[in-house]
Amino acid sequence: MEEDEFFGEKTFQHCCAEFIRHSQQIGDGWEWRTLKDSSEGYMCKTHFQIKSETLMSHSGTSACVQTCLPIEEALELPLDDSEVTETTTGSQVIKYEYHVLYSCSYQVPVLYFRASFLDGRPLALKDIWEGIHECYKTRLLQEPWDAITQQEHPILGQPFFVLHPCKTDEFMTPVLKNSQKINRSVNYITSWLSVVGPVVGLNLPLSYARAASEDE
Amino acid sequence: MRQEDISEIWFEYEGTPLKWHYPIGLLFDLLASSSALPWNITVHFKSFPEKDLLHCPSKDAIEAHFMSCVKEADALKHKSQVINEMQKKDHKQLWMGLQNDRFDQFWAINRKLMEYPAEENGFRYIPFRIYQTTTERPFIQKLFRPVAADGQLHTLGDLLKDVCPSAVAPEDGEKKNQVMIHGIEPMLETPLQWLSEHLSYPDNFLHISIIPQPTD
Repeated sequence: MEEDEFFGEKTFQHCCAEFIRHSQQIGDGWEWRTLKDSSEGYMCKTHFQIKSETLMSHSGTSACVQTCLPIEEALELPLDDSEVTETTTGSQVIKYEYHVLYSCSYQVPVLYFRASFLDGRPLALKDIWEGIHECYKTRLLQEPWDAITQQEHPILGQPFFVLHPCKTDEFMTPVLKNSQKINRSVNYITSWLSVVGPVVGLNLPLSYARAASEDE
Repeated sequence: MRQEDISEIWFEYEGTPLKWHYPIGLLFDLLASSSALPWNITVHFKSFPEKDLLHCPSKDAIEAHFMSCVKEADALKHKSQVINEMQKKDHKQLWMGLQNDRFDQFWAINRKLMEYPAEENGFRYIPFRIYQTTTERPFIQKLFRPVAADGQLHTLGDLLKDVCPSAVAPEDGEKKNQVMIHGIEPMLETPLQWLSEHLSYPDNFLHISIIPQPTD
């Protein structure tokens, strides 16, 4: 629509299509959802994790250690857990949903996510927060522009957590400039998601990067 | 009620949970415009509808949401240049002016957000959202320029024809809907740039309701 756009909606959709193509090849679960009567759409992925809670002390206090395992790994664990020294109070399945939408205001992709138990009860941000790796927590606290806030999903109208988009082009511009310099093509969505995804528990297999550099 | 039974407060009108992050005037226009004032709504202290409403943990959350809308509006109007040039104390003054109903204090800052370069005829894009209770999507928001390529000012009618054609009746057809901003129906010939400068809400967005024409 607009020629002066750095990362316009058409480019967004093209990058997502390439990304999903690779996702289908490796069974990574990303899909495209279109809006009724519209050319607009977004990318989404749902995955399930088993969260097992091990309490160090009485529940209600803050000492709570959780280990999150992807379901495939969890199923491989020996049924006899005599090696576990802490008391396991129970495990629950958490459903994580990740949506990648395009923001026409900032002309960048935006990551929306939410987590819930199988009965539909949503996880609060502090529960999701606990699943985030230490090194990202420090970064989030130091750089508030990475702030996660609860916002209304612009298409579904439901509460989701969002990683704020206003500084996206600050970290993406050097990536794109560098790729032009070394003459190696880069998929904006792949690069962007590999930066912001891990902060909220979403990891991308390395094969996405190889696929991106093969697409000309 | 016992203290321990009380959880987060929320509001509802005729079965619809009210989104606190929407301007109150917008909610009224959209849901109850034909009712007499005062607007009677129901206050709840239990069963917070997690799937429908954002949590509002504190007044800071309201300020953060307001400021994020103002920033998004400026991203559209000025590529964020005006808002980013302001100091933190100017942002604070905008919020405090709104919170304490201080018109002059608010406009001392807001007037800068309503300016545009002398060589242009208006903002880069117009910040607007169109709401209809009949659609699944919470609102429509797209990139739309206030001035056409030939220099003509786009009107409210032009906007609707482009982004929400079902809202406007065909020229010979019967008027099905009211197009309402701040409880009034501006003429469709009104220039959008003018509406944006003079009829925006404090968050600098034009919040437009499309409601069925009352039959009385």
